[in-house]
Amino acid sequence: MNETVLTVEKLGKSFKHQPIIQNISFEVKKGEIMAVLGPNGAGKSTIIRNIMGIMYPDEGSITFHNSQKNIIPRHKIGYLPEERGLYKNVKVMDILLYLADLKNYPLKKAKERAKVYLKKFGLEGKEQSSIDELSKGMGQKVQFIASILHEPELLILDEPFSGLDPVSQELFKKEIRSLANNGTAILLSSHQMNIVEEMCDRLFMIHRGRKVVYGSIEEVKKTYANFKCVIRGKNDRAVLEQISGVQRIEQNEDVSTLYLTKDIQPAKWLKNLPEYMIIQELSLDRISLHEIFIDVATDQNLLQEAGENYE
Amino acid sequence: MSNTIKIAKWEIKRNLKNKSFIISLFITPILFLAFFLLGNLANSDEDQSVTTVYVNDKLNILPALQEAVQLHNLPFKLQKTGIEEDKIEDLLKNRENTAYLFIGKQSLTDGVVPVYTSDVISPMFANQIQLLAEPLKALQLEQLDLSKNQLAAISKGIVFEQSTVSEISKTEGGGGETEKILERIVPGAFASIILLSIVFSGMMIFQSASQEKKDKIAEIILSSVTPKDLMQGKIIGYFLLGMLQVVVFFIFIIPIVLWKIDVPIFHYLFVPHLFLFIGIALLGYLLFSSIFVGIGATMADIYTAGNFQGLVILLPFLSFVFVGPVLTDPSGLWAQIGTYLPFTSPAVLILRLSILEEWPWAEIVISLAILIISVWIFMKLAGKIFKVGILMYGKNATPKEIWTWIRQ
Repeated sequence: MNETVLTVEKLGKSFKHQPIIQNISFEVKKGEIMAVLGPNGAGKSTIIRNIMGIMYPDEGSITFHNSQKNIIPRHKIGYLPEERGLYKNVKVMDILLYLADLKNYPLKKAKERAKVYLKKFGLEGKEQSSIDELSKGMGQKVQFIASILHEPELLILDEPFSGLDPVSQELFKKEIRSLANNGTAILLSSHQMNIVEEMCDRLFMIHRGRKVVYGSIEEVKKTYANFKCVIRGKNDRAVLEQISGVQRIEQNEDVSTLYLTKDIQPAKWLKNLPEYMIIQELSLDRISLHEIFIDVATDQNLLQEAGENYE
Repeated sequence: MSNTIKIAKWEIKRNLKNKSFIISLFITPILFLAFFLLGNLANSDEDQSVTTVYVNDKLNILPALQEAVQLHNLPFKLQKTGIEEDKIEDLLKNRENTAYLFIGKQSLTDGVVPVYTSDVISPMFANQIQLLAEPLKALQLEQLDLSKNQLAAISKGIVFEQSTVSEISKTEGGGGETEKILERIVPGAFASIILLSIVFSGMMIFQSASQEKKDKIAEIILSSVTPKDLMQGKIIGYFLLGMLQVVVFFIFIIPIVLWKIDVPIFHYLFVPHLFLFIGIALLGYLLFSSIFVGIGATMADIYTAGNFQGLVILLPFLSFVFVGPVLTDPSGLWAQIGTYLPFTSPAVLILRLSILEEWPWAEIVISLAILIISVWIFMKLAGKIFKVGILMYGKNATPKEIWTWIRQ
């Protein structure tokens, strides 16, 4: 079992008497990538800003296990905020060394690592370039390098992939995974489900400041990712309702989506479909994290209605 | 090294690498010099005009004085006169560039030579006339037997005590001593330059804080340091940049001033009063910089400053309202009001103390106490505003919002 680096317990924060986050509890362990998911305005950045000490929680506690009580070990944390930028009229190397210096990281070592990372991210030779000479994507790479230059124990990335092109996304994903493999605890907020599904070990989903899903990707999939069958063809709803193992039906003109119960066996279930059904196309796959997320974000809560347990 | 110092160092380094800052660093003293020299050029005819100096000479020292005038190339035309002191008021009323010296035995024992001048006289006259002390000193030494009292008289030196014709009617026996005036004016002018420079550089904090928001770097910085460290670092950094401006200013100005004015500035500068003057200037800087850093954090960027923020930038200039009344009556009601208002007290205090012969110590102490308490209060308020404001993107904070942050 990996050691816990960060514990958030019963965190709560209100603005103008309006609760923004309530009763938020989770842990981040060494060497894992933990995702905080939620729609815009769900409270992800508020959680992160409270962890970073940029905001102060009204309730609950935040514990950094490798630090003295009540002290945020800022020099051990790397942070890439959602609202991010850099001084415009300074050189790339100057800003990297300044930010490393604020983390009490030795300057000589910082300079060496900066060169390595600049090369890795395709910015070799840009050390003496002014930030305002860089493209937006290059600027984001410099921001990312600044957040990891001081070898943080805990790396907090708020929407790290937003605004990146696919090639840069792959580069970031590879580096984040590599940092986790080397023992860095990573807390990542995102609303890009495919990326989270692909690279995170555990996730914490919030909606309107409250927890809705928390667990490992495997557990969440096992719990929520039932099969669904999409059929193209004009079929009466009454016909579809007679099929066994169907939990819920959605119809949109000629397309019917059948949400299946957890216990069905796909091959057997397909065999039992009525022969008179009109099928022009048929696909059978699992409900993705994306659908769970959309479900939560649009307040449909259909999975919950169907008896699923979100808590 | 503490984070405050790291931030201060960064602000200094960033500005020193900024071309606009470097240009402004040198352009300010160059502009000042240009105006000073142009003004000097325009007034050169007036300055070089010859002053007719009538000497009521009861010691037969006029030939020695003539030699001194020639030796120092003074623009004086010396003439002997028999007119007595009590009659010169009417004589001087309608004259220009005219002075009367009364040299008698009393001058040697008291070490004071009364000098009466017309109202219009070269500003350099007060310094130039001091050069005539040498022959008098020589005569004084010749006549003394060096008894204890005489030695004391010698050690007093000889001072030409100057009074304009208007001052004769106001005071009996002449006006204040030039040396004492210079001992107040020179440190006062020095402190005024410091105050002006550091307040101007303090205004750059305004831009720095709002630019940090615009560039969206604030949150990254705040992941490493506390808002208090960031704010203090900026205040210290811009203070040192202001002091750098002062140093550059003086490197340019002092040689020129020494050459043109011929006043031993350093002699009058390094007096105990200087510490009080500098202390007042520093308190003024701390007051304005804390306000600027706090309010700078409430703006989306410097170009979209709202009415409220715009008014705050003008606060240091409020002192100019009091300049006229203070010059007219340095101990009057307006001068006192300006002394007790925290936003005007640094400049008004420096101005008053440069003018006043007798310092109103009670007023100074009360004013300093108000200023220190104000600095403390505004630092606290700025801290509260800065902490929230620096993370609010995209809009200027309203006064109502700022009030809410202060109350939190």
